[in-house]
Amino acid sequence: MLRTFTLNEVWILVLAARWTIALSLAAFAGGGTVGFVLAIARISPFRALRYIASGYIQFVQAIPGLMLLLLFYYGLNLFGIRIDAWTAAVLAFTLSTSAFLAEIWRGCLQAVPAGQWDAARSLGLNFPKTLILVIIPQAVRMALPPTVGYMVQVVKGTSLAALIGFTELAKAGAQINTITFEPVLVFGTVAGIYFLICWPLSLLSGYLERQLKVGHVNIQAM
Amino acid sequence: MRGIMKSVLAMAAMVIVSLSAAPAEAQTVDEIIKRGKVVIAIDTTVPPYGMLDTNNQPTGIDVEVANLIGKNLKVPVELVTVNSPGRIPALLSNRVDMVVAIFSITAERALQVSFSIPYAGQSAVLIAPKTANIKGPDDLKSLKVGVTRGALEDGALTQMNPAGMNLLRFDDGTSVAQAMLSGQIDAMGGGDYGEIYLRKGAKGEEYEQKFPLRAAHFGIGIRRGNPDLLQWLNTFVYQIKNSGDLDAISRKFRNGQPMIPLPVF
Amino acid sequence: MIQGRIHRLRHDPRRTGWGKEIGEPLNYTFQFGTVMDHFPDLLAGAALTIRLSALTMVFGLAIGMACAVAKAYGLRPLRWLATSYIELIRNTPFLIQLYFVFFALPHLGVRLSPNNSALLAMVINLGAYSAEIIRAGVESIPHGQIEAGRALGLRPIQIVRFLILFPALKAVYPALTSQFILVLLGSSIVSAIAADELTAVANTINSQTFRSFEIYTVVTLMYVVIVFGFRAIFTSIYAFAFARRG
Repeated sequence: MLRTFTLNEVWILVLAARWTIALSLAAFAGGGTVGFVLAIARISPFRALRYIASGYIQFVQAIPGLMLLLLFYYGLNLFGIRIDAWTAAVLAFTLSTSAFLAEIWRGCLQAVPAGQWDAARSLGLNFPKTLILVIIPQAVRMALPPTVGYMVQVVKGTSLAALIGFTELAKAGAQINTITFEPVLVFGTVAGIYFLICWPLSLLSGYLERQLKVGHVNIQAM
Repeated sequence: MRGIMKSVLAMAAMVIVSLSAAPAEAQTVDEIIKRGKVVIAIDTTVPPYGMLDTNNQPTGIDVEVANLIGKNLKVPVELVTVNSPGRIPALLSNRVDMVVAIFSITAERALQVSFSIPYAGQSAVLIAPKTANIKGPDDLKSLKVGVTRGALEDGALTQMNPAGMNLLRFDDGTSVAQAMLSGQIDAMGGGDYGEIYLRKGAKGEEYEQKFPLRAAHFGIGIRRGNPDLLQWLNTFVYQIKNSGDLDAISRKFRNGQPMIPLPVF
Repeated sequence: MIQGRIHRLRHDPRRTGWGKEIGEPLNYTFQFGTVMDHFPDLLAGAALTIRLSALTMVFGLAIGMACAVAKAYGLRPLRWLATSYIELIRNTPFLIQLYFVFFALPHLGVRLSPNNSALLAMVINLGAYSAEIIRAGVESIPHGQIEAGRALGLRPIQIVRFLILFPALKAVYPALTSQFILVLLGSSIVSAIAADELTAVANTINSQTFRSFEIYTVVTLMYVVIVFGFRAIFTSIYAFAFARRG
């Protein structure tokens, strides 16, 4: 199957990018949910909850993303838990995304001036009501730029799913390269497609940061 | 709040759906037929057994055999792509019913899975550029040799352990081929038939077999403790050998050569 | 198979510990002993992980500092060059950058071994990220400080070293060391081009023994230990280099 790298191959890569986007959205949905709970736990008045959440976050943030993937894909398999590459990828990305988002959002929640808490208490609001009515609405504004920025990391992180055999954009690129053997063209195109997805998000994050005139919460990743 | 609830529900639904969709726990032939489809694992990075055609659809000897299984069971086939290290986990986790992915029959693997009688065979060989002077394992000294992790050539070369050889294990055949073609490795372990012989490398090198590593036969892998399915598969393989179907498939993908003689056990 | 399991539970008392079987009513028995047999290999892999990461941090930091200064104070073409490099790297996955260095560069005449390709890709990657982090720190230096330095007769090199880079690094130290930790974690990806660091060793052992859960658990714990070790080192460096002086 000797083929030259034509627009047909470019199209195959573009189609594979759908899976990249699907994985990213799934990771963000799952990770966002868990991360939100964790962020609340991190600032809750119960010390045990704070320590558990903090320990979990510190631990997960010390595990390479690829390791999480391998643990879920190969490790769980032998427990008889039926797991394919897609499920393993979604679970692993959810786990790591939750830890990083929890940290970002915790920072934003804590950046809301302490006076707000006092004012809420003097108005008779309990912890949940304070959160929902007072703190979170203000924190959301601050959280928007770094969260959008982190989406870029999530999209790039989905490339790891290639290493457990899931055919998203990176793996499709490798396959096309063996068929056409034009690594410069193939990986250049793959990089270009990722760039087209990620760069607008990066620009958006920067724009939001300038527009909302908030401080820079800096969480970088590979 | 509503948005969060929706995400939670969506997440839970996703997990439930992907965990419960079409369980592949069928143990007998009847259960597979009753369930209405057969789920078979293939590898699409190993021509001519498993590869992608111009429409990015799986094709190759393994794929055709898998389709014949479905035809003889009279159920549709669902193909699941796995990589080399993922074959046994796919079976053990009930993700697939059987594996048809250049699954070499070894006693060690038989501790975890059951094999049908062979439906194909291949030698694992050492492949290198035509200009390289490699006659045997001793000539691999100070050379970088690439293999697919866990594959037959990996086992053979690891066991041979030629002095001074630098063995590089890659995740799949795609990476090994890319490494060979771009000159990152001096030699590779691979099959005695494959696409690499037709390709030219970055400097225009052409490739050939240098010496055999190990001969292997491929069987259809299933979970252990399943004598009913195993017996059916053996019957199936006997039939496609006898009827000439297997030879026809081999001729289609191996340049007109019929299938090599296959032992039975 | 179920009968075999019951037979074993009845006749062999449960034992725990390294290298012994822990019988479970799952379809599986844990055998950490198998993993422990390969521990020397795992240690060798961990050593390479640490070596690669440390070298990357040194060289990546150097590139990052150069780019940060270029972007903050350089002429327009230089700024444009630095920005293009940074944006390109930050918006593409590391795996693709790695594939490019290992599979595509030979096509363009540059062929590096797996370990060297890994190092180059990691350095290029860290260079871009640290450039952005350091630039934020550099830009927060008040201009008055630089003018004061010039007024005091300091040479440009001295100004850059003491009045710009040193305060900038101190300011962005947390973000920078976080990025360094990410470098360490990202090193596991270079297993994809057969650089035999810790993850690659884990995969190889897995393909030979199929004890996936045991191996990946042990290796995960090893990474956590290494990360905590680096975090401690970074804290000490801060105390030593930054906390004592202004």
